[in-house]
Amino acid sequence: MNEQNGDEHQKEDRRWFLASGLIVAGVLAFSLTVGLVILPIAQAPNAGIDAWTAICRAMGLSPGTPAQPQPPSNARAAPVSQVRWTPKTLRTLAVADPRPGAALAEAVCSSCHGEQGMTISDDFPRLAGQSPQAIYKQLSDYKTGARYHPQMTPVAQQLTTDQLAEVAAYFGGLHEDIALGQAQVLAEDDMARLILRGDPARRLPPCESCHARGAGGPPEAPVIAGQNAAYLARQLHAYKAGARRNDVYRRMRDIAGKLSDDEITRLSETYQGTY
Amino acid sequence: MPTNRRLIISHFAVAFAAFLAACALGVWQMWVRSPLSGPQDIPERYYQSVTAHGVSMAFVLTTFFIMGFGYYVAETALKRPLPGRNWARAAFGIGVAGVLMAVVSIASGKASVLYTFYPPLTATVWFYVGLVLVVAASWIWCVLMLVAMGSFKKANPGVPVPLAMYGTVANAVMWLWTTVGVSAEIVFQIIPAVMGWTQTIDVGLSRTLFSWTLHAIVYFWLIPAYIAFYTMAPRAAGGRLYSETMGRLTFVLFLLYSLPVGMHHLFMDPEHSTGFKFVQMSLTALVSVPTLLTVFTISASMELAGRLRGGKGLFGWIRALPWERPMVLATGLAFFMLWFGGGGGLINMSYGMNAMIHNTSWVTAHFHLIFGGTVVIMYFAIIYEIWPSLTHRQFRSVPLQRLQLWLWAIGMMVMTIPWHVLGLQGQWRRVASFDYSDPRIAAWGPWVVVSLVGGIVLLVSAVLFVWNLIPRRYSPALEPKPGYAFALAAHPPHRVPGVLNGFVLWNILVAVLMAAAYGFPILQFFLGDSPQAVIHPVTGG
Repeated sequence: MNEQNGDEHQKEDRRWFLASGLIVAGVLAFSLTVGLVILPIAQAPNAGIDAWTAICRAMGLSPGTPAQPQPPSNARAAPVSQVRWTPKTLRTLAVADPRPGAALAEAVCSSCHGEQGMTISDDFPRLAGQSPQAIYKQLSDYKTGARYHPQMTPVAQQLTTDQLAEVAAYFGGLHEDIALGQAQVLAEDDMARLILRGDPARRLPPCESCHARGAGGPPEAPVIAGQNAAYLARQLHAYKAGARRNDVYRRMRDIAGKLSDDEITRLSETYQGTY
Repeated sequence: MPTNRRLIISHFAVAFAAFLAACALGVWQMWVRSPLSGPQDIPERYYQSVTAHGVSMAFVLTTFFIMGFGYYVAETALKRPLPGRNWARAAFGIGVAGVLMAVVSIASGKASVLYTFYPPLTATVWFYVGLVLVVAASWIWCVLMLVAMGSFKKANPGVPVPLAMYGTVANAVMWLWTTVGVSAEIVFQIIPAVMGWTQTIDVGLSRTLFSWTLHAIVYFWLIPAYIAFYTMAPRAAGGRLYSETMGRLTFVLFLLYSLPVGMHHLFMDPEHSTGFKFVQMSLTALVSVPTLLTVFTISASMELAGRLRGGKGLFGWIRALPWERPMVLATGLAFFMLWFGGGGGLINMSYGMNAMIHNTSWVTAHFHLIFGGTVVIMYFAIIYEIWPSLTHRQFRSVPLQRLQLWLWAIGMMVMTIPWHVLGLQGQWRRVASFDYSDPRIAAWGPWVVVSLVGGIVLLVSAVLFVWNLIPRRYSPALEPKPGYAFALAAHPPHRVPGVLNGFVLWNILVAVLMAAAYGFPILQFFLGDSPQAVIHPVTGG
């Protein structure tokens, strides 16, 4: 009796096993056939391609809709900057040795940018704690002519790409309390609002969405909390007037163009006052 | 009376502490998005808050609740001591350490990357290490659940594993499969990027690996609610479970069809072909099968109970049900919200219709209704059901429990209906603020205010829930009773087919489905030159 029961149980188990496997396999076969074969064949004429191409596209073996050829143009593309954030460039910056950078900074940079990049002169930007990507981008732009400054351009042209990265690594590694980006904006006025919240009505994003330390925005965006007010104001005016043009996608020219002269002055002062 | 009650209560305490904090943050988030100006309405704070809200709700509340409930079920359903108690304690410690790491990372502003692992935005490494520890704790739990079931089967050959435990182990097995995707993403892509070992990241691959986890994780959260539907609600209603086999099938189908479907989160992504998107969409559609099986079986069980209580006619049994009992009320409310959330989900998973609502508030509304509505309301009901056996105290006030459940359901509907409407109008999600002075979106303002009111009702309900659980000195003490009485089936099985008493076949089928659905879509990233993205570390301003 028990044996008979056992046999029946085994049979029942086998039936369940087979049925479950077959149903799932059937469902899968249905999905694969419809998705990868039937629909592509049915839709191929709409896209003006043959059935085989359609199947290859549906499987991901060949690219989908090919990019449309652009209309021919004789205009010469003029990129605003030669810096590309390729894995190679990023790697160069990641492995750059700050020690030769420190020697170079002391010998060359410190006369204007101050000891450890902490100048108090209004004529030059502070560099201590600046993001290495920002320094590298600006030095490269001076080197290639994308940005011009009578003193900086010849200096940058003397240096190799690796040296630029080393100097950038040195300044980026200075993290004393007085370095850039250490403090937060504490004021509660309309400038603080612009800095932290932006002005959607004028399509102005918050400054901090790119310029805060570790904001996660474009890699080249500099940290500006604690920067010299006069330097900041000069750059904003230069962007506004179109005199400085090495900002990718015209981001800063567009933003500065919407700021009033008074706002530029007060924004710069607020940012300087944050350290 | 479970012997590990302190361990279980500790899990629930962590879960609901995180839950309460997350509810408060959620209200603030809606406030700053509304036309009413809220305090601290800075985008940076908003993303920090969304990260904390998501991590607390999606990882802390769920994982700790599920682990605690799993231990409870293992002890009470199997009527055997929990194996590996020290492992369970260690897992709790590891999980808490992980939560603390994540909380500190988020609070310091170095992890405002939201709770989804979508590079190239990356947080501090401690955030990821913390969350990996939470997952590691849950893996220990999974193994303990498997061991508990295995030793039960060894000691009771031929006896069906109790349904509550079968569902719990189905969840554990599914969770082990689920976490493979995100673990691979964190270990092989994100950690090397965060540590500076790599300078770029393949976001197509990371989004694909995360999609592996992203849908099944929702079923990990959902299955305890379904365990309550099948093994608690019928008895609470005064009846029996209509069909035990339906329950087993439901859990097995969730295991099968929650995994090879995650690409429906990537319908608008360019890195996958239409064919595989279709395959995963059609598999997603099958998730509705266990849902509809459950709606049918539980409705039938409730009808049995209603008729036993004297209900007559086509719908008279519904009125005859004991709605004053929290478990019955919660089941009814959960089903009500499941219709809306599930209906919205069918639109999300339809390849064509998805384009209308992709990345809009509609999606946020959908998962709040399913998770906040159906799942969390059943977490409440489960806690109300088992709390007396854990604290040895009876509840003083059941009306307050009913009020809490009603507030939760009403708040959830008031909050999510406006989101659905706004989603159809194109309101994007994950945005810190709106410029309501823009005439094109000015009309959204009142809807957002309504949803804020819903959020406030939810917060009141959350506070009331915790208030209800605080043991009172004057609560009558409860005689310790052995175990918890799970619902009996109308026809209790003496034997079930082998495949419905274990998971070997289902694991094989999951492997086959995953190979078919994700094999080539993942392999393609290693075949050609896949575009790389620059890593953006969000380490705080």
